[in-house]
Amino acid sequence: MTLLSTPAVILRSYRYSETSKVVRLATRELGVQSAIAKGALRPQSPFGAALELLSEGVAQLYHRDSRELQTLAAFDVTALRRGLATSLGRFAGATTLAEVMLKMAPPAPLPSAYDRLVAGLESLATAPADAVDATAVRALWRLLGVLGFEPSLLACARDGAGLEAGNGAAVIFSAADGGALCARCAAAGAPDGASRLPPPAFRDLLALNDPAAALPALDAAHAAAHRRLVARFTRYHLGEGGAPPSPLPALDLWERRAWIVAS
Amino acid sequence: MSAIEDLVTELSRLPGIGRKTAQRLTFHLLKQPAENAERLAQAIRRVREQVIACGTCGNLTDEDPCAICRDPRRDTALLCVVEEATDVAAIERAARFRGRYHVLGGRLSPLDGLGPEALHLERLLARVGNGSGVREVIVATNPSMEGEVTATYLQQVLRSTGVRVTRIARGLPMGGDLEYADGVTIAQALEARRDMSDAD
Ligand SMILES: [Zn+2]
Ligand SMILES: [Zn+2]
Repeated sequence: MTLLSTPAVILRSYRYSETSKVVRLATRELGVQSAIAKGALRPQSPFGAALELLSEGVAQLYHRDSRELQTLAAFDVTALRRGLATSLGRFAGATTLAEVMLKMAPPAPLPSAYDRLVAGLESLATAPADAVDATAVRALWRLLGVLGFEPSLLACARDGAGLEAGNGAAVIFSAADGGALCARCAAAGAPDGASRLPPPAFRDLLALNDPAAALPALDAAHAAAHRRLVARFTRYHLGEGGAPPSPLPALDLWERRAWIVAS
Repeated sequence: MSAIEDLVTELSRLPGIGRKTAQRLTFHLLKQPAENAERLAQAIRRVREQVIACGTCGNLTDEDPCAICRDPRRDTALLCVVEEATDVAAIERAARFRGRYHVLGGRLSPLDGLGPEALHLERLLARVGNGSGVREVIVATNPSMEGEVTATYLQQVLRSTGVRVTRIARGLPMGGDLEYADGVTIAQALEARRDMSDAD
C-alpha cells in the first residue's frame, strides 16, 4: 500500500456509517476511484467541510491496485466552487459532467479528462447567467471528446469525405455514426434518431466543439436543441457494446430543464 | 436460519450497527426478562403502524396535524423549511425557534434523479400564498452543495410571493449534516440568518 497525492474532484459522496463517508473521486493521477473517509462525519473531523460535492482539492490516498475501496487520508480543498450552487442550471450542468465521468471514464488514469472536467466546472461556476446553457453544452462535448467520443464534424462520420459547412444545405448528424454525414451518405440512409441541422445550428455545433471559437449565443429553443443533441449522443455511446442502458438522471434533468425559474 | 442468527442479521442491517454489536444486543435481549423484549417488539410495531407524515408540514407524527402545527403559541408568520423530518427534531432540540415548519422530504440532487418535482413545491407555495399570514420563510436546508442549490432555487420560486426569504447562517460546518449538529450551533445559525440576495 502506498500513500499517493493527487489532484481530485469529489464526484459523489455517501454516508457510509454513523461517522464515515465514502466518496467517488475523479483523480488526475489514478482515474476515478472510490475511497473511504473515516471519521468524516464527526464534528471535529479534519476533513471538515472538505468533502463537498464537486469541490476540488489535493487528495492523499492510501492506494492499492487490487482494492476497490481506497482509504482517503486527507483532502485539502483548492476550489470549493460555490458558484455552482447559485443556479440550478449551473448545478445541473456540473452534475452532468460528474455523471459522465462516473459512467464513461475508463478505469485507468486519464489526466486530460480530469483537466477537461475541472475546466468545465470552472467555466460553469463563472459563466454569465445568459451563457450557462451554452457553457454546459460545450463542456459536455469537450469532455466526451477526450473520453474517446469526439464527434466527427469536419469529415463525414461514415466515409471520411470532407464536409463543407456553409454550402446552404442542412447537415445530418447521426449519433450512431459518431457525427455528421456527407450528402451522399445522408442520401444513402440516415439511421433512426439522426438530427437534421440547418446551417446556423451546424455552425453553432462546430463552435461549441471548438474552444478557440467564441461561445455561440443560444436562445432558449436553440439551447434546448443543442442539449438534446449532446444528450442523445451521450446516451447512445454509453449504451454501446450491447450493455443495458445505464440511467443518467443528471443528464436527463439537465436536458429537460424541468425547473420553473430562469437560469 | 436459527432464531439467533435471524435477529443478528436484522439488527446488523440498522445504521451504525455491525455484526458484533448485533450479536451483543441479541444476547443482551436473551438475558433480560421476556417482557422487555416484548415491549421492544411492540414499540417497533407501533412506530411503523402509527407514525405518519403531518398533512400540513410533513413532519413525522402520530396525530395529523402534528403537535407543532396544532400549537396555538407557535408563530404562524414564520415558516422554517427543512430537508427532512429529522431536521425538525434537530431544530426543536435547540428550543429557540417558535415558528412552524415545512419538510421538503429531500433536496435537489440531480445525480440521484431528484429534480424540483421531487420537492412538491406547490405545497410550499400554497402554504406561503395569499392570506396565509406567512411573512418570512427561513430556508434551513443543509449547508452542503445540494442544500445550497436547493436554497437558491427556493428563493427564486418564492420570489413571486413577495414573502421575505432568509437563509440560516453558515455557522454550521460545510459538508456537515443538520441531524448531527449540536443545539448551540443550530441556535446561532438561526439567529444569524440573513436575507438571500438574487443569485444571477
Ligand atoms: Zn459520407
Ligand atoms: Zn405539522
